[in-house]
Amino acid sequence: MPDLGRAALVTAFGLLLYATVVGALAAWKRRRRLAASAQNALIAALVASAVASAVLLTALARHDFSFQYVADHTSRELPLRYALTAFWGGQEGSLLLWLLVLCGYGAAAVLTTRRVSRDLLAWTVPVLGFVGSFFAFMLVFVSSPFVTQRAPADGAGLTPSLQNPYMAIHPPMLYLGYVGLTIPFAFGMGALLSRRTDERWIVATRRWTLAAWTFLGVGQLLGAHWAYVEIGWGGYYAWDPVENAALMPWLAATAFLHSVMIQEKRGMLRVWNMVLVALAFCLSIFGTFLTRSGVIQSIHSFAQSPLGGWFLGFICVVTAGTTVLIVARLPLLRARTKLESLVSREATFLYNNLLLVALCLTILWGVVYPLLSELVRGQTSTVSKPYYNFFLHSFGLPLLLLMGIGPLVAWRRASLRTLGRTFLWPLVAAIVAGAALLAAGAGSSRIGVIAYTFCIFVLSSIALEFVRGTRARKALGDESWPHAFSSLVARNRRRYGGYVVHASVVFLAIGIAGSSAYQTVREQRLGVGQSMTVAGRQLVFRGFEQRRTPNHRAIRAVVDVYDGGAHRIARMYPGKNQYFAEQEVSNEVAIRHDLLDGSDLFLIADQVNSDGSIDLKALEKPLVNLIWLAGFVFVGGSLIALWPDAREERRLAERYAGAMARA
Amino acid sequence: MTAALIIGAIVAAACVAVVALPFLREPKAADDVLDAPGEREQRRLAGAEERDRALAALKELEFDHRTGKVSDDDYRAQVGALRRRVADAVRALDPPERTEPKVPARG
Amino acid sequence: MPRNGSPARLVVALSVAAVLAIFLLYTSIAGGTPSLRPSTIAGHTGQVSLAGRVVGHPTGDAHGAGLRFTLRDVKGRATVPVLYRGTVPDLFKSGRDIVVDGRLRSGTFVAVPGSLITKCPSKYAPKHSSN
Repeated sequence: MPDLGRAALVTAFGLLLYATVVGALAAWKRRRRLAASAQNALIAALVASAVASAVLLTALARHDFSFQYVADHTSRELPLRYALTAFWGGQEGSLLLWLLVLCGYGAAAVLTTRRVSRDLLAWTVPVLGFVGSFFAFMLVFVSSPFVTQRAPADGAGLTPSLQNPYMAIHPPMLYLGYVGLTIPFAFGMGALLSRRTDERWIVATRRWTLAAWTFLGVGQLLGAHWAYVEIGWGGYYAWDPVENAALMPWLAATAFLHSVMIQEKRGMLRVWNMVLVALAFCLSIFGTFLTRSGVIQSIHSFAQSPLGGWFLGFICVVTAGTTVLIVARLPLLRARTKLESLVSREATFLYNNLLLVALCLTILWGVVYPLLSELVRGQTSTVSKPYYNFFLHSFGLPLLLLMGIGPLVAWRRASLRTLGRTFLWPLVAAIVAGAALLAAGAGSSRIGVIAYTFCIFVLSSIALEFVRGTRARKALGDESWPHAFSSLVARNRRRYGGYVVHASVVFLAIGIAGSSAYQTVREQRLGVGQSMTVAGRQLVFRGFEQRRTPNHRAIRAVVDVYDGGAHRIARMYPGKNQYFAEQEVSNEVAIRHDLLDGSDLFLIADQVNSDGSIDLKALEKPLVNLIWLAGFVFVGGSLIALWPDAREERRLAERYAGAMARA
Repeated sequence: MTAALIIGAIVAAACVAVVALPFLREPKAADDVLDAPGEREQRRLAGAEERDRALAALKELEFDHRTGKVSDDDYRAQVGALRRRVADAVRALDPPERTEPKVPARG
Repeated sequence: MPRNGSPARLVVALSVAAVLAIFLLYTSIAGGTPSLRPSTIAGHTGQVSLAGRVVGHPTGDAHGAGLRFTLRDVKGRATVPVLYRGTVPDLFKSGRDIVVDGRLRSGTFVAVPGSLITKCPSKYAPKHSSN
């Protein structure tokens, strides 16, 4: 069985190498059948990767400990679903997942584009093949999941904190995002290599990029939610290098999604878009490199691994190659129009891009700072929360404001008087809200008040956009209000889907501001019958309960929650699990969601004492559930923007019809 | 073990077949050239994109005007130039391209 | 009205310059926190980040008088005693690698409360890293 897996990987490597070399040859020499053959090689590589994945999955399901990977990451007691998701629990399996997803995306891209844009695809295939070859190479020669050993009696098991549904689905989501960014990169480089000057590559990859970006965003939210409920320190993001590794490409991709709109509408920023798509791709590889190589000290990765050198080499080659290519094609990329006014929608998109990239680069700087400081000063220094929060506030708050300003500004140039009129209501709403918040005592956090005020501004401007649009649409015909609304959205999916996504970002901002700037934390040691108060609620400790299951022992503190009276509003069970096989203790927090105001009461059993008392830590986190709600709104907005539009498809097909007929 | 061997052999054969497919289908292809848009075609594409861009800009201007983002004065100042731009873009294309979708009256 | 030179370039250049200026200002003033090991901490008086492996048996109560344990270089012999108060992560135990912030006071590393972080027994460690 391991032989089949190894053979499948070698086959995949061979096919991807073929796709790279032969694909490049075919594109250069303009040989149609050869190019088609290279495309087929990509599709075949998917089959080969799938076979290798199936071998690993079967071994995991059967607890076949002769596979070193299976023994390292599962145990007999592990439930089947976690045995299967251990596929991506370790280094080698993660690489295989990367390869599988890449081949999947590549095959899908080939199958959907081969009829409409054969010459663009001709150069895209070698680029995809090159990236795939690298990962296949790593899997075959450096880090194979199919190393065998004499089977031990039982495996090492999966770290208990990873035995959680969110952690199970978080890596595939992230990978669908990371790897998905390869598609626009490959098409962009393909367009450069084929010397095309039109927007075909952007049109072809728009939905892919949006989908990948959505997966990456959702993957991060899932990871944050896992950290919140499973690791349970009371927070959801720790600016750990591995977390930043996913945030950076997402920020770059966000910038890219906006600036391609400028290129489509005004023909500007063409060099910038090439740079951005390459940056997003390199950051996603860099993120993979960070997580795997242990080169940056982080709580997730500390062991040095030979993988690091290879990844660094790959990133350098890609960066160098991309730079050379962009510089060589610079004359083709010259913009045809110029920015007319600093007060225009193009300009706001430009500011948005600058802020996003600045935030991305400051995070990158913070992540590599330990390495740089070691090189320069001989002393490893790290930066932490204060550094990141400073820049998050400096760049994030203006970005928030821009989300509200951008949609209200006209293209090309906007007169300040018109701006004044369109901004009036959102500004009024924001000022009123700000005053109300200050009166309600929100002034305890200056950043919090500013953030909330900006959020109200943005939400008002979004709502106003929907209202004005519906009213304009209704004025044209005989539709009812709901009908006018739905046809408005249906005919302008990208715009209004985008507004919904902006709304989700606002919810995210409100949730983050509330749960960090306005949270209450209390810690106290409680004996049986003793109580503590947090944010107006009394918590009374009633004692411990214990329970035993096949793989762990659960200790729970019984805590009653009162709301100022004698009536108990909840009974919560924070505690710990002790896992026998893994010899680990995991924190099991108790969270109570308040459905009315979206806040959480978060209880952590910090320390179970031998004298029967408990060190209890209680946090009251206002509005934190808005963060998770934002995730759903985010997906909804993306779906609206992604939804196929028959009218637009027809127009695009007709535009590129000439090229299609001949190829 | 033998099952693995058989599966492996089938997969390997299938991969080779898939890769060779284009050559198996057309052992002697009359036209094996991969066409790329030439100079003229690239210009036509650029022209088509410019036309679509101008049309979209006109449509957006109308919509922005109706939703109040663009004042009457600004609208009057810009719409003439935009309409001329659309006309120029359409004219710049070869005659067959003029039968493009009508300028939509509704936004 | 359309200008001769593109203001976009100017905006980009100024913004990049401004951002760079903020970078340099912040990181040179704030300086970052030095990351040290027990073998390199001697002599440092300011707040630092100490990384190492927990050896021996931790004693005391982190939520009471303080948890006392010994930290040793991951690859080395030098040790330093640590006094810690605050939340102790579940993964903490003897033999684990941890990071903690604090400062050296008369031979004992007094930690900033709540700053203890244990490193995940790595999912991405090279082969044969047994727990």
